[in-house]
Amino acid sequence: MFRFIARRLLETIPVLLVIITATFFMIRFVPGGPFTAEKAVTPEILRNLEAHYGLDQPLHRQYFNYLGDLLRGDLGPSFKYANRTVNEIIFDKLPVSLELGAWSLLVALCLGLPLGTIAAIKRNSFLDYLCSGFGMVGICIPTFVMGPLLALLFGIHLQWVNVSGWYGPADRILPALTLGFVYAAYVARLTRGGMLEVLNQDYIRTARSKGASELRVIFKHALRGGLLPVVSFLGPAIAGILTGSFVIETIFQIPGLGREFVQSAFNRDYTLVLGTVILYATLIIFLNLVVDVVQVWLNPKLKFE
Amino acid sequence: MAANLSPAQLPSAAVNPADLESGSSLWRDAWHRLAKNKLAVFGGVTLLVLAAICIVGPWFSAYGYEEQNLNNTFAPPGAEHWLGTDQLGRDLLVRLMVGGRISIMVGLIATSVALTIGVIYGAVAGFFGGKTDSIMMRIVDIMYALPFTIFVILLMVFFGRHIWLLFFAIGAVEWLTMARIVRGQIMSIKKMEFIEAARSLGLGRRRIIFRHMIPNILGPIIVYTTLTIPAIMLLEAFLSFLGLGVQPPMSSWGTLIKDGAEKMEEYPWLLLFPGTIFSLTLFSLNFLGDGLRDALDVRAAKD
Repeated sequence: MFRFIARRLLETIPVLLVIITATFFMIRFVPGGPFTAEKAVTPEILRNLEAHYGLDQPLHRQYFNYLGDLLRGDLGPSFKYANRTVNEIIFDKLPVSLELGAWSLLVALCLGLPLGTIAAIKRNSFLDYLCSGFGMVGICIPTFVMGPLLALLFGIHLQWVNVSGWYGPADRILPALTLGFVYAAYVARLTRGGMLEVLNQDYIRTARSKGASELRVIFKHALRGGLLPVVSFLGPAIAGILTGSFVIETIFQIPGLGREFVQSAFNRDYTLVLGTVILYATLIIFLNLVVDVVQVWLNPKLKFE
Repeated sequence: MAANLSPAQLPSAAVNPADLESGSSLWRDAWHRLAKNKLAVFGGVTLLVLAAICIVGPWFSAYGYEEQNLNNTFAPPGAEHWLGTDQLGRDLLVRLMVGGRISIMVGLIATSVALTIGVIYGAVAGFFGGKTDSIMMRIVDIMYALPFTIFVILLMVFFGRHIWLLFFAIGAVEWLTMARIVRGQIMSIKKMEFIEAARSLGLGRRRIIFRHMIPNILGPIIVYTTLTIPAIMLLEAFLSFLGLGVQPPMSSWGTLIKDGAEKMEEYPWLLLFPGTIFSLTLFSLNFLGDGLRDALDVRAAKD
């Protein structure tokens, strides 16, 4: 297993290098620099600004300088926010996005797993149709429709929670529900499918015939195998939740990294864009690795290869 | 496409011998099964109606999609403007229909891009197998783990948010699952007799792949395509919602929903109509896709 993890980690390095290089040069070959938006900059000041940020050096020098700084964990200064480093901005905003992501994942699992399991056990009953219908609704109503609708209902009409902001615990409810709902729908669908497959297996019949209670059969025997499709879905789900938070943060005005990223791209804040892309890529690749390890751990039939 | 399929070419597992004797083809069978699925029929009919309205509707509208009327802003739905007007007094109905055209275009063009890349990539990987296959699929695995949405966002910001770029950028990121499915299917028919027969006739690789293999895995390809279209339309709306897709005064369902969400407190219809139509479209596409999957009995595309 350690060899598997070590090999995957080694594989990560060239992938990240490709991402960094591609993003770095893509940004530089774009018309318009970070200072073109600021009005009335004399050529002299522009030159000073560029010298200050090292933009006057040849491109390959800038690239290797950036890589060198990156190795030391320094993502450079922000071009837009004077006197702030990208590291500071990320440390400031990332916890918010991570918290939102964690709550959403919790919503997805706490809603999706029970619903999917119930649907599988009560197959083709009214309950099943209800759960599957929920799954369809979640998949077909996108977050940017669901979010405003929930805000309209619970924020404006019922006035239970604030429509936007990120202050008290109550402000977490709507964003987490909105983002988690879609994934809850997928989780429910996959759980149902996985459980149905497992419940027909011989070892479940054996467990039943040995007199194990229905609850024991489900929780002790069936869930472990039935959850495999869900676990393999968690990788893409985590990536989706992280990028999905761009929209959620915009709708509910949450000061997270997602909104900052979109804004930084508009501002052509090179270093902030690069830093965020690197961070997201690393995060997603790492979480995918964790998911793969959990998957093999749950299913002895798979091997670390 | 059905013409390409003589019964002898069909993978034996998919064909019931009884059907062959009665002369009924796999496709006709599938069609009958589909027609019996009420949800799928509902989805298909809804899509046709919506598409017809969106394509033809704007020609019959009394208003242009960018025609402003500042004396009649935020008009509620009524006889004059069936779905009301927005902050510039533009007719919501005609904007919704024009936005629908964009969604249809995205659905068709971006899906074709994704389809072409995915099918060719998957077919090549599956056909050659061995090292070629393991390298190609490892690349797909790695790309699965990348934050592609981020790259589409960067592309759109930096290269001018052009609508054709949007189509291709979306198509270029949505081909991965198609490649996986096609590869698996190609692997499973590679060893069948009719492929061996084609080889022994001395046919070239390209001819075998495109004339003999791909026509035989059309079922999974069609099913997965119908399930890719909603994902692609969703991505377009997502980008437009962030202000990165279709640019004003052009309308798209994503931008309409975004504008509606900003004004929903006082003028909820601006959010409700586009939101409902968009969700209805996604529902219909998914119902149709699920129905096709059951009708063609495709298991590979299940998740």
